[in-house]
Amino acid sequence: MRCHMPIEMAIRDGLGGSLWPAKNNAPEQRIAILPAMIAALNGAFDDISKAMRLHRVWIALAHEDIGDQHRRTTLGPLWMLVNYLAFIGTFIFVFKTKDTDSAGYTAYASIGLVVWFYLMEMISLSVPLFSREASFIQGTRLPLFVYVMRLTVQCIIRASYSVAGCIVILLLSGLGVSAEWLLSIPGLLLIVLATPAIVTVFAFLGAFFPDAQFIVGNIMRVGTFLTPVFWAYHGQGGIQNYAYHWNPFTYFLEVVRAPIASGEFPMHAFAVTAYISLAFWAVALLLLGGYRKRVVFLI
Amino acid sequence: MISIKLDNVSLAYRLYEKLTLTAPDRRLGGLGGKIGRSGGKQVVQALEDVSFELKAGDRLGLIGPNGAGKTTLLKVLYGIYQPSAGTVAIDGKVDALFNINIGFRPEATGRRNIVLRGLISGWTEAEIQEKMPEIIAFSELGDFIDVPFKTYSQGMAARLAFSAATALDPEILLMDEWIGAGDAAFQEKAKRRMDELAEKAGIIVLATHNESLLESVCTKRMTLKNGRVEAFTTKPAKRAGTRAKS
Ligand SMILES: Nc1ncnc2c1ncn2[C@@H]1O[C@H](COP(=O)(O)OP(=O)(O)O)[C@@H](O)[C@H]1O
Ligand SMILES: [Mg+2]
Repeated sequence: MRCHMPIEMAIRDGLGGSLWPAKNNAPEQRIAILPAMIAALNGAFDDISKAMRLHRVWIALAHEDIGDQHRRTTLGPLWMLVNYLAFIGTFIFVFKTKDTDSAGYTAYASIGLVVWFYLMEMISLSVPLFSREASFIQGTRLPLFVYVMRLTVQCIIRASYSVAGCIVILLLSGLGVSAEWLLSIPGLLLIVLATPAIVTVFAFLGAFFPDAQFIVGNIMRVGTFLTPVFWAYHGQGGIQNYAYHWNPFTYFLEVVRAPIASGEFPMHAFAVTAYISLAFWAVALLLLGGYRKRVVFLI
Repeated sequence: MISIKLDNVSLAYRLYEKLTLTAPDRRLGGLGGKIGRSGGKQVVQALEDVSFELKAGDRLGLIGPNGAGKTTLLKVLYGIYQPSAGTVAIDGKVDALFNINIGFRPEATGRRNIVLRGLISGWTEAEIQEKMPEIIAFSELGDFIDVPFKTYSQGMAARLAFSAATALDPEILLMDEWIGAGDAAFQEKAKRRMDELAEKAGIIVLATHNESLLESVCTKRMTLKNGRVEAFTTKPAKRAGTRAKS
């Protein structure tokens, strides 16, 4: 780094200032959990603030990532738009039945798919994040949160193409533009704000449990059908009832979709999404603070 | 004041994967590293009770067999690894060259990679652009600077890595064994630049198996074996910086 930094690392034997569960812990060790948590939070905020000062790095790297994925292709990143349009086009065409034959369903499915694609991509790319970045993590001192932000920016850039496609579909669907659409913005912002936390949690999960990559991959594939992306919930019982109410993704979709599809602000979904996001942030900060120095040994 | 001070630094890698080593018959002959157990987990004791001190102008050569702990020590000095015990106190702006490809993006051009590296080191875009001509000139890559990094030979990559890292005016420069990848002419240039750096009262720590490089660059040498310091010697002062012209 540029500044003079006297690095004084005093490491207590074995514990390393982390939350690593020490074996043979006596009762007095348990009392030390609170200070350990505070130390972890301090460490997390330190990592995050260093990463924020290096914002140019993750913005540049995210652009590189997008460029790499589409190098030598003619359409470049526009493929993301094509991909989205092909998907949504197929679904609207296939599922256009008597009760879905409306502008409302088109809006419902196209918004649902934008958010679902975003969540699915974000989570599946998060799990192998640290091993994918192994060369940088083992060779530079960049704070881990830099990689988290890099993926966050990358996901947002990619999503913006499908959002553009979605807006075009909405305009063409004959739904009619209304001021209520703006009520989607708080939900969108909430999802964006939750992204770094979700990325962090899944990245640590992937670093500590390499199997997680396959488990999460399967869950996300199944999730495409268990989440109300294409189907709507009208008080059915059975599996759809559970898949609607007990599925955290439902709420992430609804905060963005409800204002446009049904014209009202989904207070309940917003609250649930906010709680889930806060929980992710809490876990993310503890993981980042307690385990960030261990990641390099695991990948 | 630029300085490095290590006190009783130890570092153990935990082995998370099952090892296919049969426990009783472990030969610790030529190779370094020790596989032991701690609390039911297998660990490699890569560094054990390492203590030394370096002051401005020191050029330390690290030697020892493969697996002795040289790379691990450099990574501890750089701050990538947190030691399991002991203290590390470092004062100065550190840059490191571990592996030629680390921190470079294969798809990006050499020029773009210099920008990325500069950003990673906390430079502004303007500062990078200011240094760019000098870095390109020193690397002697010419038109290849605008070709993707993945097409470079090892030696070309080494030139770029070395030029970029040393252009950042580090006060402490850590280098792993790779320096041998450049051709003779470049190694000569690299030596001169390291001399300049040391004359500006910087510190260099260089891990190498190359005796002649060690002879010509370093003023101190430390031999590691199984993660322990086996010898630490200082060369007579007259040899330091006598690489006047070449
Ligand atoms: N990431 C790692 N995980 C487990 N063991 C490692 C890791 N890196 C190095 N080691 C072990 O630590 C010891 C020292 O390695 P290293 O510092 O790379 O040696 P050198 O650079 O001197 O050849 C070796 O026994 C090696 O097997
Ligand atoms: Mg090595």
